[in-house]
Amino acid sequence: MLVDRLQFAFTIMFHYLFPIGTMGLAPFVAAYTWKAARRRDEESARIATFWTKIFAINFAAGVVTGIPMEFQFGTNWAAFSRIAGSVVGQPLAMEGMFAFFLESVFLGALLYRGRGLPSTFAAWAGVMVCVGAWLSGFFIVATNAWMQHPVGYRIAADGTILLENIWRVLFSPFSYWQFAHVLCGALLAGGFIVAGVGAYYLLSRRDEAIGRRFVRAGTLVAFAFALIAVFPTGDRNGRIVTQYQPVKLAAEEGLFTTEREAPLAIIGMPDVARRRLIDPIFVPDFLSFLSYGNYKANVNGLDAYARELWPPVELTYYAYHIMVGLGTIFAAAATVAVMLLAFGRLWSARWMLWILMLLVPFPFIANEAGWVATEVGRQPWIVYGLMKTAAGSSPTVPSGETIFTLIGFAGMYFLLGFLFLHLTLREIGLGPSREKPA
Amino acid sequence: MSVAAFVTIAFMFAMYVMLDGYDLGVATIGALIARCERDRSAVMASIGPFWNGNEVWLIAAAAALFALFPAAYAAAFSGFYLPFIVALWLLMLRGIAVELREHFPSEVWHQFWDAAFAGSSALLIFVFGIALGNLLRGVPLDAFGYFEGTFAFLLNPYALLVGVFALATLAQHGAAFAAIRLDGELGLRAARMLRALWWAVLVLYLAVTAATYAVHGGLEGWLLVLPLLSLAALAGVWWGARSQRPKRTFAMSLAFLATLLTAAAGTLFPYLLPAFPPGRGGISIFSAAPSAVALTCALSVTLGGIVIVGIYTPFVWRRMGGKLRAE
Repeated sequence: MLVDRLQFAFTIMFHYLFPIGTMGLAPFVAAYTWKAARRRDEESARIATFWTKIFAINFAAGVVTGIPMEFQFGTNWAAFSRIAGSVVGQPLAMEGMFAFFLESVFLGALLYRGRGLPSTFAAWAGVMVCVGAWLSGFFIVATNAWMQHPVGYRIAADGTILLENIWRVLFSPFSYWQFAHVLCGALLAGGFIVAGVGAYYLLSRRDEAIGRRFVRAGTLVAFAFALIAVFPTGDRNGRIVTQYQPVKLAAEEGLFTTEREAPLAIIGMPDVARRRLIDPIFVPDFLSFLSYGNYKANVNGLDAYARELWPPVELTYYAYHIMVGLGTIFAAAATVAVMLLAFGRLWSARWMLWILMLLVPFPFIANEAGWVATEVGRQPWIVYGLMKTAAGSSPTVPSGETIFTLIGFAGMYFLLGFLFLHLTLREIGLGPSREKPA
Repeated sequence: MSVAAFVTIAFMFAMYVMLDGYDLGVATIGALIARCERDRSAVMASIGPFWNGNEVWLIAAAAALFALFPAAYAAAFSGFYLPFIVALWLLMLRGIAVELREHFPSEVWHQFWDAAFAGSSALLIFVFGIALGNLLRGVPLDAFGYFEGTFAFLLNPYALLVGVFALATLAQHGAAFAAIRLDGELGLRAARMLRALWWAVLVLYLAVTAATYAVHGGLEGWLLVLPLLSLAALAGVWWGARSQRPKRTFAMSLAFLATLLTAAAGTLFPYLLPAFPPGRGGISIFSAAPSAVALTCALSVTLGGIVIVGIYTPFVWRRMGGKLRAE
């Protein structure tokens, strides 16, 4: 059981690094390919090839780590699959039929388009890959959203959960607000990657014309989505958690006691045994305002709920605070960079270029932390309010077997992670100017 | 409705075998027909744009099984835990090999990835063959439909025979595809390989058919036509290869696979996972059936999806297809 959890956490967290890249970079690949097909100049074609290559490495890693995710529902979580498959299987089947095919077939067309400048067909293929990547994200988030907030189902006499209304499952507030937030996270990561690569070229005083194009496009995208990630999508996610999963909210905010005029803890360390935050810094009344739009509102703390319904408080709290803290830093950094860009000072502000370059890994951390807060905060439920995680694992698979496969996955992923970093850094080191325009 | 769901899932798995089958097959014979670095690159490039889309059929079929027959999905995937995970690792290794190969600048590493690609692909075919063999033969199931046999049970002579047959058949299928896609000497070598493999396929086909009758009791009613159709298609492969019409050969090879898989599905019906020894029941489409709403939804998704995919995939492939010129 514990091993099943560890295995799922490890494989999903490793896998999720790559969809961030595909969802975030796909629009850049599509846009650069369009530009090259329209303008018919060699520099744009080189840039398009460059990002397509990086995208392809990322996509390959995403595909191979993604297949085990779907299979794991059956192999490690058979009881969950049997009871909830009638609902959970639907968006997964949609992902396969409507998103995966689109992405894979058109990526094949984009990668093997042959020599010469990209054609309009290649540009369309880029758009389709982007649509496929985003749709895939939507169906996965919809699956997760149902586990957060089950709707559109009924329970049969034998205890299995049966689908009643697929539209309610697909378009619950959890699904579209979570998806919007996830997509913002990916796009701001994509923006920071493109800007960071450009900053690296500018700092190394090579490929400077291309580097400027990257920094300009990347910071603008990162700026836009860093703001949308806070408002409205982040805000709305907070509201729906407040409404439907108040225990999770209390754990995320480290609020142990129910309070009117509840303060917002900026930092502080939860001491669960004594039920308080150690060394906190508070913004008075602000949690009440964020949760209910009213400084005087009553916010339920963890003490309002039975102890066995608390999620692991420390992990939920830290993951949430890491996400929010980094999100704030992203918004600030992107704002400064865009201001410098607007006043024409960015190219001489080498300190800002350093910041942009070093920021690249952090959106990945923020995205992962956001999911940890969401998923760990959902515990002890696998389907919120309906089924406990402890009841979901496979009855016939002993933990010894799972330990073996966990070790196998760890080895495989170590190799894959190494290859991914090596090849991506190599492509960035070679740079777009060495690409053949083909 | 349950019958329609069974047919849909069988169709999706069959599409997987027919499409991913050729790129698995090309990978298997690639090492045998390629003589130099340029050959090996050409072999990889011949399936490069297609393999990933083909593999999606497996993922989509598994997802459709999950949505349509959750009980069968849960029992099968957790029951055959280790074989499934091993198949997964092979799929992953294969994906890494084919996608990352070209990013390495050195011929040494190209050779390494080619070997990894060929090895994992051949092993995958063999594993899938063994799985199909066990599916047809039936496996010991407990009252809840969970597998209660051992790993060793799965490696019985019948399943191993089906595994070898799968390897030969898909190698032949891959050779037929390679003969269309590859130019010059390489294409001719693929065609020669095809004619050599044909005899192996014929012998193994007769052996597997006989063994299936012995193990399972054979087909009934109109399904009896299928072995005859299979033989006709196999003869068609020979005829196409002799008259040097690679496209016709490949089409006949597709038809051969289609008849084989229809026969397999017909043998299985109405079971998704029959019990061993035969006659002890198993998980059938009626015992694993989900609610009518779920069935309607999943069926519309898969059928709608198949139609949409059927529209754009040939369109894209037509632009990618044809002979690869030596570069």
